[in-house]
Amino acid sequence: MSEALLKVDDLSISYASEEGPVQALRHATLEARAGEAIGIVGESGCGKSTLASALITLLAGNARVTSGSVQFGGRDILSVSEEEKRKLRGRHIAMIFQDPMTSFNPVLTIGEQLVDFQDQREGLSKPEKRQQAALMLKRVGISDPVRCLDRHVHELSGGMRQRAAIAAALLMAPQVLVADEPTTALDVTMEAQIIHLLRELRRDYNGAVVIVTHHLGVVGELCDRVYVMYAGEVVEEGSTDDVYHNPRHPYTQALIACDPANLHEQTPVLPTIPGRLPDLVNPPRGCSFAARCPRVHERCRSEGPDYVEVGPRHRARCHEARS
Amino acid sequence: MSGLYDVDNVSLDLAAPSAGLQRLLPGSAPRMTILSSLSLSIGHGEMLGLVGESGSGKSTLARAMMGLVDITDGKLSFEGRPLKGRADFVKVRQGAALMFQDAVASLSPRRKVAAQLIEPFQINGVPLPDGDRAPAVMLERVGLSSSLGQRYPHELSGGQARRVSVARALALKPKLVIADEPTAGLDVSVQAEILNLMTGLRSDMGLSFLIITHNLAVVRHVTDRVAVLYLGRMAEWGPTREVFARPYHPYTRSLIAAEPQADPRKRRPDLALKGEIPSVLARPSGCEFHTRCPIARPRCAVEEPESNMITPDRMVRCHFAEETRIETQGGNHGT
Repeated sequence: MSEALLKVDDLSISYASEEGPVQALRHATLEARAGEAIGIVGESGCGKSTLASALITLLAGNARVTSGSVQFGGRDILSVSEEEKRKLRGRHIAMIFQDPMTSFNPVLTIGEQLVDFQDQREGLSKPEKRQQAALMLKRVGISDPVRCLDRHVHELSGGMRQRAAIAAALLMAPQVLVADEPTTALDVTMEAQIIHLLRELRRDYNGAVVIVTHHLGVVGELCDRVYVMYAGEVVEEGSTDDVYHNPRHPYTQALIACDPANLHEQTPVLPTIPGRLPDLVNPPRGCSFAARCPRVHERCRSEGPDYVEVGPRHRARCHEARS
Repeated sequence: MSGLYDVDNVSLDLAAPSAGLQRLLPGSAPRMTILSSLSLSIGHGEMLGLVGESGSGKSTLARAMMGLVDITDGKLSFEGRPLKGRADFVKVRQGAALMFQDAVASLSPRRKVAAQLIEPFQINGVPLPDGDRAPAVMLERVGLSSSLGQRYPHELSGGQARRVSVARALALKPKLVIADEPTAGLDVSVQAEILNLMTGLRSDMGLSFLIITHNLAVVRHVTDRVAVLYLGRMAEWGPTREVFARPYHPYTRSLIAAEPQADPRKRRPDLALKGEIPSVLARPSGCEFHTRCPIARPRCAVEEPESNMITPDRMVRCHFAEETRIETQGGNHGT
């Protein structure tokens, strides 16, 4: 197995708020290896977007790193200078956002922007950069790339926009590609096409791919490994197959159970996860899922569980995980 | 037999967004067909799903059913009474309610939830059923705390906003609720809560629902029947269970196959449906699906398929539906 390209170690991030710091991410650990696609999955408020923005050093202004690091290329990229961070983004770590409409400037053509994104590429003339851009558009399945270069983003369909955004992200051949809900804004057939495209691109891309999503189907289709997050913590990680077929954390089990796509028989009442997310200004002392867990016992409320190994490269944060 | 709401051979054309001068010349402005000869019937107490890609005309049909856009041809009738003018639709809006796609955007950001909940009564001049308690009763009916009435829409979570729009849709005790993408953008656990709320209301109050969505998993679980729309025309409809078990139209089959699988062992190697839905400005000849259809033959590009009633409760519009039918019944198509 290859070495980890990107390593998140014990990372905690909080946001300043009127009620006090919101502990949005707590002691998260994660690694992405070259040639591997990992998924970060969880519901609203689980901290997946905070983690994704840390990976690309784009934390919000009121965010504060309270512990840990993001290791890339032998250093902690969260503590380097703004200038260094800017050089990393796009060149080494690139991101695909949920809404491709807002990831392009509406008043510039796609071509002008794809040329600008190659700002750090030396030794290429502008026409050559435009040529590169057209090649990349072709690779992401845009049939008339030269015409697309002269278009503005509003002139493209939803699927084409997301293809163009993927082309923009891959333009500088980054080592790490982070995609935040890359198919959420699309309908089912476009979603299938973008999944298909990402899978194809992976074949000749040897960097690491990180997919952040609330959709288990996207993870199932694309990722080798998955990290499940709940209330700011990574609660389970493992190969996609292990986590789907043998989930060990009660939250992972509940999440899989309430996705109607996983139910084969028609049922009048769909399973839900009763209760609500804990307050992250004052996270619970014990397990963060205790209040909603069907298998909760005394110890869970007082003592936070360790992140225990339950199989090869399969870990879960639960007192019961081993049993 | 008439249902609760009948859509009979409805078409809807709009003026194409063509360049300036053409519009000024009478009669020559090009039209685009948004809905074409659509027929659909929603029964009493039925949950009907309407599926199709973006651009298939789902939301336009919902708006036409509420009288928010005018149809060009055909007939709409509610409880057996044909709807002809504005006055008819004003009445329909008391018996049928529309839940808009974006729950937060459908609420005014400047007014508290309680004030917005009683708007349907004020607009229609109906006295408040429970007096001052009305907003609280409405909120409790959809499983929300009555204190939420004092909040502004931006203070609600996505799931709460969705429940408020359900509460508001139910205000005038309608018989039909048209829900446009009722769970889009929600987490799976919250999505399940909203769907359970809707199915519960249906059995408690005998409501009918038209659920418009591109989420097939939702349709599969909560609806009795499903109708599949492509480029403003009905491709197929029938009982949900049967359509999912044996889809006859190649478009329906492609949609079902396009759903991402959470189980990595069920990954699909190839793509079910290539290309994008064509523009209504360049509607394909013959069968409008032929440009993307995996089984298209020369005939499909020339000849429009007829609506074919395979059984009394299943319709499919495809020249080769009979062949597909034999194929799918012969093959082993488990879940």
